[in-house]
Amino acid sequence: MILSYEEMELILPELILVLGIILSILLPNVGDAKMRLPLTRMRIPIFIGGTRFKLTADPRLPGRMTVAIFSLAFLFSFLEIKSASGTIGDVIEVTQFTRLMSFIFYGALLLACIATTYRMPAKVTARAPKDSDSEARSNALISALMDNRRQVDFYILMMMVGLGMSLMAMSTNLFFMFVSIELASLAAYILVAFHKEEATGGEAGAKYFIVGSVASATGIYGMSLVYLWAGDLDFDTLSNSWSSMDSLDPLAVIGVGLMLVAFGFKVSAAPFHLAAPDAYAGSSSPVAGVLATASKAMGFVALFRVLIQITMPEEGDAFWYVLLAIIAIITMTWGNLAALTSRNPKRMLAYSSVAHAGYMLAAIAAVGSGLGSSEANEMVLIAIVFHLTILVLFKLGAFLVLSMLEIEGRSHQLKDLHGLASRDPMMAGSMFIFMLALAGVPPLSGFLSKLLMINGIVNISAGTGSSSADAILPWAESVDPVFWLAIAIVINSALSLFYYLRICLVMFFEEPESSKPLRSAYFLRNSIIVLTFLTVFFGIGSGAEYLLGLVTDAVSTM
Amino acid sequence: MGENKQEWDRLLYIIPFLLVVPYLYLTNENSTDYWWLIIASPFIFFFIIAIVGQIWNKHNFWVNNLKEGGVLGLGALSLSLSTSIWMICDYLSDHGHVETGEPLSWLSFDVLTYGDDSWSIATSGFSGIGFGIYLDSLSIMLLFVATFLCFLICWFAIGYMTTDSINDNSNHRFFAEFVLFSMGMFGMVLADNFLWLFIFWEIMGLCSYLLIGFYYWKPSAAYAAKKAFLTTRVGDVFLMIGLLMLYDIYGSLDFAVVFDHPDTGVGGVAVDSAELQTALLMLFIGAVGKSAQFPLHVWLPDAMEGPTPVSALIHAATMVNAGLYLVARMVPFVDIHHHGVAGMEELGLIVAWIGGITAFMAAAIAFVQNDIKKVLAYSTMSQLAYIFTGLGATLWLFNSGKHHAGALVFGGSLFHLFNHAMAKGMLFMASGSVIHEVHHAHDHLHHHGDDDHDFDPQDMRNMGGLASKLPVTATAMMFGSMSIIGIPLIGGFWSKEVIIAKTWYAYFHGAEELIGPALLLLATAGMTGFYMSRMWFMTFAGEPKNQLVDHVHETTPWIKTPLVILSIITAIGGFGLALYGMVDWLSGEENHLSIHKATFLKQVIYELDHAFLPDDLKLRYVGWTTIFLSFIIGPVMAARIYGGALKEGEKATPVIHWLTSLSGKFGSQNVDEIANSQLADALQNRLYFDDLYEGILARTIIPFSNFTAWFDRTVIDGVIKQIESNSVLGSVQIRKVTTGSARDYILMAAVGALSIFALIWGVN
Repeated sequence: MILSYEEMELILPELILVLGIILSILLPNVGDAKMRLPLTRMRIPIFIGGTRFKLTADPRLPGRMTVAIFSLAFLFSFLEIKSASGTIGDVIEVTQFTRLMSFIFYGALLLACIATTYRMPAKVTARAPKDSDSEARSNALISALMDNRRQVDFYILMMMVGLGMSLMAMSTNLFFMFVSIELASLAAYILVAFHKEEATGGEAGAKYFIVGSVASATGIYGMSLVYLWAGDLDFDTLSNSWSSMDSLDPLAVIGVGLMLVAFGFKVSAAPFHLAAPDAYAGSSSPVAGVLATASKAMGFVALFRVLIQITMPEEGDAFWYVLLAIIAIITMTWGNLAALTSRNPKRMLAYSSVAHAGYMLAAIAAVGSGLGSSEANEMVLIAIVFHLTILVLFKLGAFLVLSMLEIEGRSHQLKDLHGLASRDPMMAGSMFIFMLALAGVPPLSGFLSKLLMINGIVNISAGTGSSSADAILPWAESVDPVFWLAIAIVINSALSLFYYLRICLVMFFEEPESSKPLRSAYFLRNSIIVLTFLTVFFGIGSGAEYLLGLVTDAVSTM
Repeated sequence: MGENKQEWDRLLYIIPFLLVVPYLYLTNENSTDYWWLIIASPFIFFFIIAIVGQIWNKHNFWVNNLKEGGVLGLGALSLSLSTSIWMICDYLSDHGHVETGEPLSWLSFDVLTYGDDSWSIATSGFSGIGFGIYLDSLSIMLLFVATFLCFLICWFAIGYMTTDSINDNSNHRFFAEFVLFSMGMFGMVLADNFLWLFIFWEIMGLCSYLLIGFYYWKPSAAYAAKKAFLTTRVGDVFLMIGLLMLYDIYGSLDFAVVFDHPDTGVGGVAVDSAELQTALLMLFIGAVGKSAQFPLHVWLPDAMEGPTPVSALIHAATMVNAGLYLVARMVPFVDIHHHGVAGMEELGLIVAWIGGITAFMAAAIAFVQNDIKKVLAYSTMSQLAYIFTGLGATLWLFNSGKHHAGALVFGGSLFHLFNHAMAKGMLFMASGSVIHEVHHAHDHLHHHGDDDHDFDPQDMRNMGGLASKLPVTATAMMFGSMSIIGIPLIGGFWSKEVIIAKTWYAYFHGAEELIGPALLLLATAGMTGFYMSRMWFMTFAGEPKNQLVDHVHETTPWIKTPLVILSIITAIGGFGLALYGMVDWLSGEENHLSIHKATFLKQVIYELDHAFLPDDLKLRYVGWTTIFLSFIIGPVMAARIYGGALKEGEKATPVIHWLTSLSGKFGSQNVDEIANSQLADALQNRLYFDDLYEGILARTIIPFSNFTAWFDRTVIDGVIKQIESNSVLGSVQIRKVTTGSARDYILMAAVGALSIFALIWGVN
């Protein structure tokens, strides 16, 4: 199928990524290879292979190129957010919502790539060890050479993750969505296990892969049941069939239930989240950051598609709302409780990410209750998408600060953060802001999203309370249980402050093991500073209004 | 000279800042569109100086060329100053009110409201608070005072702070806080809304705390900072209550709304005078705290622990005027000619009494102070109290329908605010110059092995005979003191005369309760003459009391220039502005500053006639008594006790030389007996106010605090700890599920999947 010019423009960022993947494969192999024409003595250059040119042999090339590619894709997604609209074939539909999502994905991946250029640096000066080198020295040299060798692999995988996520958001068809998710997920499994020489990396990758493939298999089984029931996998058709269904068809319900398991794994909802903390802790911080933000956003898009778009009835409650509410409460409580005693900052952030998933699931459950008006429902969805957007700022930001520590081989223990404020006040300050934003402290953007979410849930449920009750207790008894989801979020937020603030505490009040400042890591450091600024900027005033406007427009096209 | 030239080169850095306003002017921009420059420029430079200073600390360029941020601060303040002068010029040529400003939109989102027996979603219940500016002659005058003095004192501070080794590379902290304070002051003056006024008021309070505690390693400085902060906090609580009450009455805190018809509250209801009076009294308590009036005055003398430029700026020239500004803003409420609320005479009386008591008490305490800055601090309290009394009389006169007299004393009070700010700012800078040079001389001697740790460079008993060593400072201080004393024709005379005369006028015309303040002010006038002269004579006249005086000399041009500029303003500014009708302009009676008589000479004669020979015979007696007390009795007594000619052969400027030798001619008087009396002792101990407060606190607040601390530790912390330990327990349990084995994870997922189906079936 040849794309028309308009269609190409529509998916320009994705095309850039495809081009990037192709270039990543080709470019590092460009050399001075020549081929002798048969039977002649003429040798014509074919450029693939041979001795590589100085430029193409540079190990830093893939990293730089990928950063450039992601920057372009990020930029074009942003430019198209307001205008994007159109379909390609039967499977891709580009809307403002999908563009906003790809904007989020590319932003997260871009930041992760920038961080990786420092986390897994390509060293031009790397050489093979000599006999005279000490053992430690030659080990270091070998690992530098290995890092050089696998630069291309890493960045190709990153681009595949981006491509998969973005296509997934655009798909209008369960099957295409599944393929896209798998494209992103399979690449992500490898990325988790990428530092396989480290003990935790390989194990984490394997576990994540095994549990993930079980979830995927469950999901695709669910899809096949849905296909059996409706005879189609297109979202619109499914939605129509669902609303024309008199009573719940067991086939359809089982299918959707099984899909919930798969997507529950993606958003790390309890009890499918168990592999996630292992995976986050085992992978490098930038990759963990991507899993916690972009991958989570992808899971929620899938949930939106299935739960809101297909199975949400016009009137009354959806069959899954009690179920989702229970999952949400278990998820957030589990995440926060487990984070309390985590001594590994990455694991702690992983559990915090589980808790955040719980908050968002609670919001979806409130929508599913069918109590609210369509405006109130839309407001909750806006809150969720807003939260997914700004999560890239502070959740990923926190992982990037951990990357700064990882560069010097630490970040697996709380004590690696000790005294960060005296070693590197800028980074400690940023981490402080990120933690406060995660905890939802005003006026940071994390507060705004949480507030919108709680406010939305309260809006949906409060109308059900007895209006004649003049005291709070009788009213609380009469109100729909959905109201208690908001209370659960509030209580859990209070609980979560404990471990977020502990990070701040050790950063500012403990003595560091060494007083050496962190590596300068110019671009990474400045990215973190920009994220810190944006975390504040999008929390209040015109910044918040702008982003909320963007999200509102996007959600209206969902 | 070469070195001086190099110092002047530093000023080149502020040229870009000075070019902004001419550029905007030439492009035909409207000055009121750029009011935000006044606030934004110091605010931005607060961050720049604080951050860059941290990064570039000890960097050669930063220390020597940018004076550790001082030059940047000066630049930012020069931009504020030039913008405000531009605005003032526009205002003076256009006249009339200016209210402008876009409401700064705050967060707005849907909120849940309960009304009409049901819950409903209301969009945006809170539309935001707009920040705009409110310009009238009062705010224009204060804006000029604030920008001008901030600029000059920053200039002075560059010389004072950066040559002091004790500051040890932390001057960027000083300058950052200095410009932040300036922003607070500018914002407070410009704000068109009581809420913003309060916000900036608190910013100033914070900066005052930080700057008093600048030498935080000194326990006395840390204590003084804490005391200043907490004492003003007492006032601020009342201020906030007052603001809430005002909001309750008017439904808004915008000046434009509130001042429009102060007699009709929200919903067109007539305002209850008792309620409004209570609200205004609450505001007044806030003002009392900020302006260090009895009984919340205890913090100001201790605040002198801060660096001298801080004393000059915050605790003499600008921040303490905030309270006066607030009280001056109450005038529309009581002005019954313009929809004011009748029946609030008590308010004016209370303000006047507080002022009178403070004026007298502070002057009395100033008699016995030997620390040059403490004398000035008490003098500040006393002079501010004058203005409070004037404003009290204003409120009374306005409320009892004597509009003309009220306007006159209102203008006079504000004019005194202006004169006092200029003079007192300069006096503090001059005292800073003295302290700085004495300190250097001491360091110089100390260097030669004369070790003396107890030496206090602020103690006037170590000085004497400095007139020949510090000619510029001595002249400046002379003019400043004359202005404060109210020597005829110099600065403060023109305003002080109005205040005293009109307070008596109010007494003669029905306010019998004002006899107290009126008498106290009269007595204070003479006392002012005494203690200010005493300070000057002790410092500059007579024989040197310490050998180090020989080593004192004026050094840096950073210190001298502001003194010269302010000396000129203090000496002739009062008369000059009085000629141009400053009093009527400030009270809003006139729209222009201009000469009203046909010729300049006629105007001069009219003003002099008016000041010395008023029509009302009673007021003529009052006026001449004031002059007699302040000009003759006070200074002559001081000269008898403390005066004396300079040492033989010492050269000073002719006027100073004449003044010192004159002071020696009144003979001398031994005051040991009085100095050892119980009264002197009580004055030394500041009339035991501090002891009283500490005693009360020790008996009331501290036991209560101990109880709450116990409650917090055992009950609240206990509950929290219990929750925490339970949570941790739960956490440990729940993490046991995370075994680390993929098999278990899949098992859990399967359990989850089965529960999903169970739930679906259970529910549906």
